[in-house]
Amino acid sequence: MSARERLANARSGKLRPAARQSSENVALPIDNLELTADLMSVTPEKADSTTQVAGTAAHGRERLRLDDVSVFYGNTPAVKNVSLSISHGEVLALIGPSGCGKTTLLRTLNRLTELTPNASHSGQILLDGDEIDELVDTDLRSRISMVFQQPNPFPMSIFDNVGFALREQSRRRPRRPELEPLVNQALQRAGLYEEVRGDLGRSALRLSGGQQQRLCIARAIAQKPEILLMDEPCSALDPRSTAVIEDLIGQLSKDLTIVIVTHNLQQARRIADRVAFMYLGDLVEIGETEQIFTAPREQQTREYIAGVFG
Amino acid sequence: MLDRVRRPWSDHSAERLLGAVACLLAVGIILMIVFIVRGAWPTFSHEGLSWLGSGGSPDSQLGAMAYTSSKPPPSAFVVHAWPLIYGTILTAGFAVLFALAISLAASIFIVDFAPPLVRRTMKPIIRLLAAVPGVLYGLVGILVLVPLINKYLVTESEQQSVANVIQLTGGGLGITIVLVTLMITPIMTALITDALESVPRAWREGAIALGLNPLRATLAVSLRAIRPAIIAATGLAAARAIGEAIVVSMVSGGNSFAPNPADGKIFFFEPVETLGSEIVRVAEDLGAPAVHSTLYAFAALLLFSSFALSLSAYLVKLPLRRYQVSS
Ligand SMILES: Nc1ncnc2c1ncn2[C@@H]1O[C@H](COP(=O)(O)OP(=O)(O)OP(=O)(O)O)[C@@H](O)[C@H]1O
Ligand SMILES: [Mg+2]
Repeated sequence: MSARERLANARSGKLRPAARQSSENVALPIDNLELTADLMSVTPEKADSTTQVAGTAAHGRERLRLDDVSVFYGNTPAVKNVSLSISHGEVLALIGPSGCGKTTLLRTLNRLTELTPNASHSGQILLDGDEIDELVDTDLRSRISMVFQQPNPFPMSIFDNVGFALREQSRRRPRRPELEPLVNQALQRAGLYEEVRGDLGRSALRLSGGQQQRLCIARAIAQKPEILLMDEPCSALDPRSTAVIEDLIGQLSKDLTIVIVTHNLQQARRIADRVAFMYLGDLVEIGETEQIFTAPREQQTREYIAGVFG
Repeated sequence: MLDRVRRPWSDHSAERLLGAVACLLAVGIILMIVFIVRGAWPTFSHEGLSWLGSGGSPDSQLGAMAYTSSKPPPSAFVVHAWPLIYGTILTAGFAVLFALAISLAASIFIVDFAPPLVRRTMKPIIRLLAAVPGVLYGLVGILVLVPLINKYLVTESEQQSVANVIQLTGGGLGITIVLVTLMITPIMTALITDALESVPRAWREGAIALGLNPLRATLAVSLRAIRPAIIAATGLAAARAIGEAIVVSMVSGGNSFAPNPADGKIFFFEPVETLGSEIVRVAEDLGAPAVHSTLYAFAALLLFSSFALSLSAYLVKLPLRRYQVSS
């Protein structure tokens, strides 16, 4: 399968998940970039999901399912027997004390742990029913995008950063006029467009930290992933930039599934539909945000939320 | 006294000392230029720039100069150095191209793909190779490689076909390019490896997280980010390739012939001479004023070329700096 076909699959799959595995939907005309731009506009189905109150059942169908997943560095487990499922359009926050395996779990979801030489995982991770280990890794990663803790813009212009994945994923390099609407749209969705519209040729490294992180979000959503992983995206930012990004997460969750790691419990409470609490590699508790914060079932969760440890 | 030395230097005096060293260096370079240009002056005044052109064999022209008197007439300075300039461009050009390809591939492998053990052993080995005195390559070339080429690669009929113009001995353009490539590749690899290692891991990881395969990520982000370093390394290697003299004079075939690509395969077995190797070969006749002046003219050209190389490397790098943080 060519990169372009994979992209076509990935994008069309977002709207027609039932047809993902069938080969007929490969024919989506990805050459017409404007058409794909249309595809990403919010569908009624997705708009619905946010108007409903948070909760598994209230959200769309299941996207990601973890069955008994353990992740090891060498022989040491960093994540132990985690099972959970994430549905379409929800924001799941992972919380827990430092070193409990949140980053490890997140990086397992897009198989980024494969870059760590001695890391391995057991158990099953299913994306729309497909075992992720059986998908092409580059394909998987353009469907499950990631924003890192430290903003990591590439040393290129703002435009080239946002257009990066689109350029690299297509066989015939799209030219600037073709990319422009997609890049602008991604910048708009990431809430950065107004600030940088004057000069997209400027070096991305000269943006402020908060702007850089929004640029990284724009870069991650430009190729229209289905799931966005965020690893403490606000930990390097001031309260104002944090507020901007929290708003943004609310906006993005209209048509994206988001898994976010955060150390900021208030933030988790503000933005998440559900919260998962991890401790020493175990998934201690997962539930509706309000339930976790007001009536946690487990003693450890209660103590963590009360600030007893972590 | 010791006390004074031990005391931390004020920024001011450190600045002054460094400034003085820099000035000394600049003065040294200027003196060298003056010295060389003065030595080359007779050639420039009698020949203008026409000595850069072609016509006849520089070998025989220099040979004739060796027998001119100590007060040679202007006609004694006639030389047409084009075959040497062409030979220099040819050997350095090919060698730099090959070295660039090899060192890019090697650095990418070492930094982003090799298992840690391989990486840890490769790096010191490359530094070691960079430190090998060039003349060793020349010895291996002349004692081992040239005879091998002569025995296995050059056929009798090929030797016959050009016998009335040149002798094919095994030495020549091909082996010269190979040895010069060998000499400049390690330092280029070391420089590019260092640059590649200084690229933040987060960039490449970010590209992989966007769905690029690891090689594409290296090419699209890391290699792109170190373009200035690649250009600088190439410039340095090119300057070294142009000036390489001893090794070339050992294996180049000893004839200032201009190899002709139209000759096909034997193009690479045809003898060649560079400006540097010609200086080495003719140095024993330096007593003759005309030879003296001509060799200085060659040296001036080499010096000028390496300045031009560093300057153009610098100019090419300028626009690339735009996206770096500090500039
Ligand atoms: N590359 C690695 N090799 C070996 N062990 C690792 C590696 N990365 C993480 N670990 C270990 O795995 C465990 C989980 O680490 P992880 O980074 O997932 O924690 P975290 O929950 O993200 O912590 P934090 O909140 O501080 O970011 C830790 O004990 C850590 O030491
Ligand atoms: Mg972490």
